[in-house]
Parts: sequence; structure tokens; C-alpha cells
Amino acid sequence: MQADRSLAGTPTEVSGAPAVTMTGITKLFTGVKALDDVSLTLLPGRVHALMGENGAGKSTLIKILAGVYRPDAGQISITGKLADLRSPRDALRQGIKVVFQEIALIPEFTVAENIFLEGYPTDRLGSIRWDRIRADAAALFARIGFDVNPDDKVGNLPVSKQQMVEIARALAHEARVVVMDEPTSSLTPAEVAKLFDVIRRLTALGMAVVYVSHKLDEIFEIADTVTVLRDGRHISTKPVSEHTHETLITDMIGRRIDNLFPRARGAAGEQVILDVEELSTEKLKGISFKARAGEVLGFFGLMGAGRTELAKAIVGFDPITTGRITIGGQLLQPHDTRTGKALGIGLLTEDRKSEGLMLDLSVTHNMSLASLERFSKSGFVSEPSEKSAVQAFVDRFRVKTPGLTRQIKFLSGGNQQKVLLARWLMRGLKVIVVDEPTRGIDVGAKSEIFALIDELASDGLAVILMTSEMPELLGLSDRIAVLAEGRLTAIMDRADATQEKILDAAIA
Amino acid sequence: MPQSLEARVDRVAPIPRLAAMFRRNETVLLLVLVALLVFFTIGSPTFMTTRNITNVLGQASIAMIAAVGLGMLVIAGEIDVSIGSLVGAVALPLVVIMNATGSLELGIISALVFALAIGAVNGYLSAYLGINSLIVTLGSMFVIRGGIYIYTGQKAIPDDLALESFYQIGNGRLLGMIPYPALVALAVFAVFSYMMGHRRFGRQLYAVGGDAEVARLAGYNVRQSKFIAFVLCSLFAGVSGILLSSRLGSAVHVSGLGFEFQVVAAVVLGGVSLAGGIGSLGGVALGVLILAFLSNGLGMLNLATEWQQVITGLIIIGAVGLDELRRRRG
Repeated sequence: MQADRSLAGTPTEVSGAPAVTMTGITKLFTGVKALDDVSLTLLPGRVHALMGENGAGKSTLIKILAGVYRPDAGQISITGKLADLRSPRDALRQGIKVVFQEIALIPEFTVAENIFLEGYPTDRLGSIRWDRIRADAAALFARIGFDVNPDDKVGNLPVSKQQMVEIARALAHEARVVVMDEPTSSLTPAEVAKLFDVIRRLTALGMAVVYVSHKLDEIFEIADTVTVLRDGRHISTKPVSEHTHETLITDMIGRRIDNLFPRARGAAGEQVILDVEELSTEKLKGISFKARAGEVLGFFGLMGAGRTELAKAIVGFDPITTGRITIGGQLLQPHDTRTGKALGIGLLTEDRKSEGLMLDLSVTHNMSLASLERFSKSGFVSEPSEKSAVQAFVDRFRVKTPGLTRQIKFLSGGNQQKVLLARWLMRGLKVIVVDEPTRGIDVGAKSEIFALIDELASDGLAVILMTSEMPELLGLSDRIAVLAEGRLTAIMDRADATQEKILDAAIA
Repeated sequence: MPQSLEARVDRVAPIPRLAAMFRRNETVLLLVLVALLVFFTIGSPTFMTTRNITNVLGQASIAMIAAVGLGMLVIAGEIDVSIGSLVGAVALPLVVIMNATGSLELGIISALVFALAIGAVNGYLSAYLGINSLIVTLGSMFVIRGGIYIYTGQKAIPDDLALESFYQIGNGRLLGMIPYPALVALAVFAVFSYMMGHRRFGRQLYAVGGDAEVARLAGYNVRQSKFIAFVLCSLFAGVSGILLSSRLGSAVHVSGLGFEFQVVAAVVLGGVSLAGGIGSLGGVALGVLILAFLSNGLGMLNLATEWQQVITGLIIIGAVGLDELRRRRG
């Protein structure tokens, strides 16, 4: 073994010199600043918490440290030496281990092999020592106290066990910095306690730990220092002892929302169009709510709260375990999108590119997809009537396109979104579920999408808006519902809602 | 190491071996192979003779060598359908250089260099430029075959010098018994089976084919791994081509036609997933042997070749379908 700073290794001194210094980090994604001049100093033997709302830039910062992205400006020094992290391999070599939020394991490999993926122990001739891989993996789990069988195939394990494997993997080799991006999202309280034991032992060995979480209790328990990011900017770095629940939330929100979207529509109607009772899925637990004609019901939730899952469940796309969904007085039964479509519910998906658009097809074909029956006679689509219907929506929504036959991939994000909205409206919907409708859309086009959603509600549709963006939520909604870890934790009228109340309900 | 942190676990629970063995694809394939051998032995008196078995092994060797290369490439998540054309094409530098210089060695070297070059082009276009490998190699399949026809004017190029050594590599037998191609196939199989199971190189191919992004995060060079797999695949197809050319005694312009699909069929039958990351060379070898004995045995039962094809096709679909069902049940 090399000079060993894995969990089995010898304690080194907790010295004052930083393990990693990130200075002036800026990262642009297609012109949008995901990170703007952010600095972060990680000290050996300390737990540094990274907090912020969705889109604050935490994940981007971590991915830069892990060598996944390269910063557009700024420097990274590791133990005082300037480092150029061009790939994950470079970061690993420098002793930076990351427990990613999305499970990054090879499903076909055993637990033990996944743990040693970054560096197989070999004998003098270079053959892999499978006996040592199994024994070392078993020993590692025994030390951490996680109950995982090293011989199991990872793909057969539940997510919580996979998360334990991820954590264990970061500890198997020498590390200088261990980054944990929401490591506890699928762990039980007992497992979380074990993880915290491990983290304390790591810091005792002189490792720097970066801990990303939305769970305030965890932060106050384990972190020494907290850095808050907001909208890609550094807001504050303080010892956790100087923070309270309230000061952390204030730092995370901070902004005053003054330029809210001006709504044009009147008050919502009284008629209940969508009635969801005790809906449960693998992820969601007992969710009930009603939505009325002409109403925008906004759902807020942090990453992993279950917004997208809820959206997909109520339109019939994802299976449900229990619960009833009634649309316009009729039960969504059987639970599939074909029935959903017939009852008048549609989904504007969060993942426009892979689940919504057919990129190589024309504006016309993308828009008319859900309503081909309307233009069909004995199985053949009548092009003139299809065209005139599409043209009507292009005019009404002001879709900027050189022509109806233009391939949709050449349109801007905002215009693509308008086409997708039109796809559902063409059918004459009662309820539309919009999941993150302005993701990846530039600021100017955002207000146009807002105006369209406003217009839909004033036409009498019930709009279910799933969003992680506070301004969007507060600007569009008549009522606001908050999800946290698959549960509905609050539902309030817009007039009673404040950012603090909403975030408070969203943080478990 | 401080003992306080050490709760050393030396004994790992042993895998229940027999149960695990029957869940393995290789065990099932082996049973199928044995069943076929028994069936044909009963059905035909001339099947289970040293002559016939060694003959089949000799023929199967040529597919086996290419299948090892293709198997590794498919495990890495890519495919190469140009190997049939390449098998035909390497015979040209081989025979032409041999005729010109009188040296078998120079002929073989130029054939292998040619194969490496094709592998490098396929690998560069697929792994580095990111073009779908089915499309790239479908293209090179046509380009290479077309090139052969242009160069040869659709005629075979004979081995003018009739070198004994050239005849021997494809047709000779060790101790008058084991065909040389079978020895080459065995060596290639043994070395690369070991590489896939016990070397970082092999595990890297599995990881890259299993989930390229995870492999990248674990510090692997995904493109380079895939590139190497393309080059090896072509190299082994080149070796197959050299042996086949020796058996044919010349560079035949139509040799290797359809060969790629025989090899793909064996690889898939052997339990390698076309999606990558799943399978073993042991399974591939069994796949090759099953198809070889099947075609030989059905021939001995005097079944028309048309029916042999139908049966082969049904067996491939049936075996892969069963395997898929077994996997889903976990």
C-alpha cells in the first residue's frame, strides 16, 4: 500500500495549511454563469458544509473539484501547489474522492469490485488479487459498520445499500479530501449515525470533508464550517456555531423578490378539476390535493423531494401503489397515459430533449403528435387541417420559427417549450402539469412562458406547476404546495406564502 | 496500522458454489454442448470419431480467434461487422507479399499491419469521433469488400510459390492430431480470458461497457479503452484471415462473406450483451463450439443446409431469449 490515508491508515497531524484552495472559480454553461467568482478553502481535519437552494452552484463546484468540469476562470491549489484537474483521473490521483449524488457504480460488478474500481490490488505480475478485494471490502464494511455483502451484485441492491457502497468506495483508497453530495438521501437514521462516526474518524485522520446536504440538523451536527452559495455566487462562510436555523435560511434565500411576474388573469374558479387522494408510489407517500379550473397550483421542493415523480404519477406515466386520481369527475383508471390523455391531462416534461421533443422532426410534427386523431380520416392524417391548426398555435404563442417544416432542434429553448405546450393545448386539455417549464431557457423567453401559463389558467385549465425556482413559484401560483422527501409538508394560499415559510417546509 | 480501527475480518462467507454455478450462463451452455454431442453421437456413427472432432475443432478455431476479439469489443459496448471483409482482405497483402518475396513471415507481418490499420481507423472513428460503431463498421465492411473486388478483379490470387510452411499453418497438425489453428485459438482464448478476468485491462473493458460515465468518474480513459478493443478485434480477425487463406491456399475475393454474422451469432449465443458490460469469453468459446458442432452434426444427419440455417437461427433466438428471462428473474 502507499502512504495510507484510507480509513485504515495512521492519523496524521491536523495542520493549519489548507488541503485545497479554490479561488475565483467561474463556470459558464452556454453563456449562463453557473458559478461566478466562488472561492472555497478546505482545511484538513474539518467538515465543510456546502449549502444553497437548487441551482445555487453546489454541484457544479463539486464537479469542478472532481475534475468532471473545468472552470472557465479561477485556480485550484492542492496542499499549496497549483493543480490542473483535467479529468476525474487527475482529481483521484490528487486524493480527491467524491460520493456523487447520482449513484456512480457499475451495476454488473460485485460490491467488492466496485469498491476497488479506481485501483485494483494486484500481485507482482499484475494479476488482480480477487481474494484481497473481497477480504478488504468485507473488512472495510465491518469497520464502517455498514451491513453490505461484498459478493452481491450492485445492480441487485436497493438504493440505500448502493449509497453505502458509494461511501465505502471513497474511503477505500488514500484520500486527502472526501466530498459527499447528499450522502444520506436514502439512508435510515441509524445508518446516518454510522456515517457520522465514519466522518469523525476521517477528520481525526486529517482528511478534509466536504458535506453537501439540505438537512439542517445534519449540518449542525457534523459540520465545522458552512459556506452558502446562491445563484452561483459565494454568500457567506462562517463557523457553524455562528449560525442558527434562521440565519442559514436567510443566507440561502437572501434575495428580495421584487420583479415578480405581473399576472393578468382573474381569480381562480371553484370547480375542482383534479382531485388526488392519498397517492403513494415508490417515492411518494400519501399525497392528497385538489386543483380548480383556472388555478395555478405551484409545487415547490428541493432536489429529490419528489416533484417530477408526482408529475409523472398524476398523468398516468409512472405506476402508483395506492391512491385515486380523478380528472373532471372521472377516475384515472386504468392508470396509463392513454387514459390520462382521454380524460384531458397532459405533462410538459422537465426533460425536454429526451422525453418531450423529437429533435429531428419538424415543428408541425412535434406539435400535432398528441392530437393526430383530430386530423385523421380513416387512418390517414390530413395535412391541410394539421397545418392550419399548427399555424394557429404558432401565431397565438408567437413561436419564432422560419417555417412549420423547420426541424425543432434549430429552435431556441423557449420556442421549443411553446411548441410542447401547444402540443397539449391542441387536444383541449382540462389539466396541464408543467415540470420545470423554464429550465434551460434564457431570461427573456422565461417571461413569455410565464405569460403563456397565465393565459392557460385564464382559459380555464388547471395548471399544476412543478418548480424549484422561488420567483417562478411566487409569481405564477394561486396556491403553493411544498414537498419534502416524498411527502406533502405544506399547502398555502399565495397571499400567506413567504420564502421563509416555503423553504422551511421544504427542508426536512 | 492502529489496531483500534481494525476489526479485521479475515473470513469472507464462501459463495454457495453449486447454486452459483447453475445460475451461470456458461454452465447452461456447456450442458447444451454436451447434449448436442450426445445427440449427434447417437444419430451418426461417424460423428464421434477423432477425425471428425479434430476437423470441427480446426474449422471452429478460425471463428474462435475472431470471436475472442469481437467478444471483448462487444463487452466494451461497441461492435464491428467489418471483420468478415477484413478476413478476406488480409489474404491480399499476405499472398501478394509472399509471392513477391518468397517469405511467409513478411506476408504475415504485412497482413497483420493491414489489420491493425483497419482497426485503428474503425476505432478512431467510433471511439474518438463518437460515430456509432455499427454504422462505421458497416461502412468499412462495404469499403473493404469493394476494395478487394477492385484489386483482384473478382478473381482469386493463387499462392504461386506453393510454400509448404504456408500450407502447414492452416492445415498442419501437431503430432498429426491437433490442428495448428486450434492451438492458436486455444492460446488466444487462454491469454485473453485471463486478461478479461484478472487484469485491470479486462475489467476496464467491462466497466466501460457497463457504464461509460461511471468508468470515467472512476478515472478510466473510456475512449482509449474502446480504441484498443477495436484494434485487438481487427488484429484477431486478421489472424483468422491468415489461417483461412492458408486453408484455401490462396487469396479468395469472396472469402469471409457472412463470416461477421457467424461470429456475432456465436458471441451473442455465448451470453455477451450487445448493450455491453455483460458476458465472458468462456461463454463466447462455448457459443462458437455449439454453432460449429451443430452445423457439422446436422450435415452428418444429411439435413439440407437450408434447414441447418433455420435451426441455427431458432437456437440463437431461443438461447438468448432464455438467457434474458433468466436475467430478469435475477
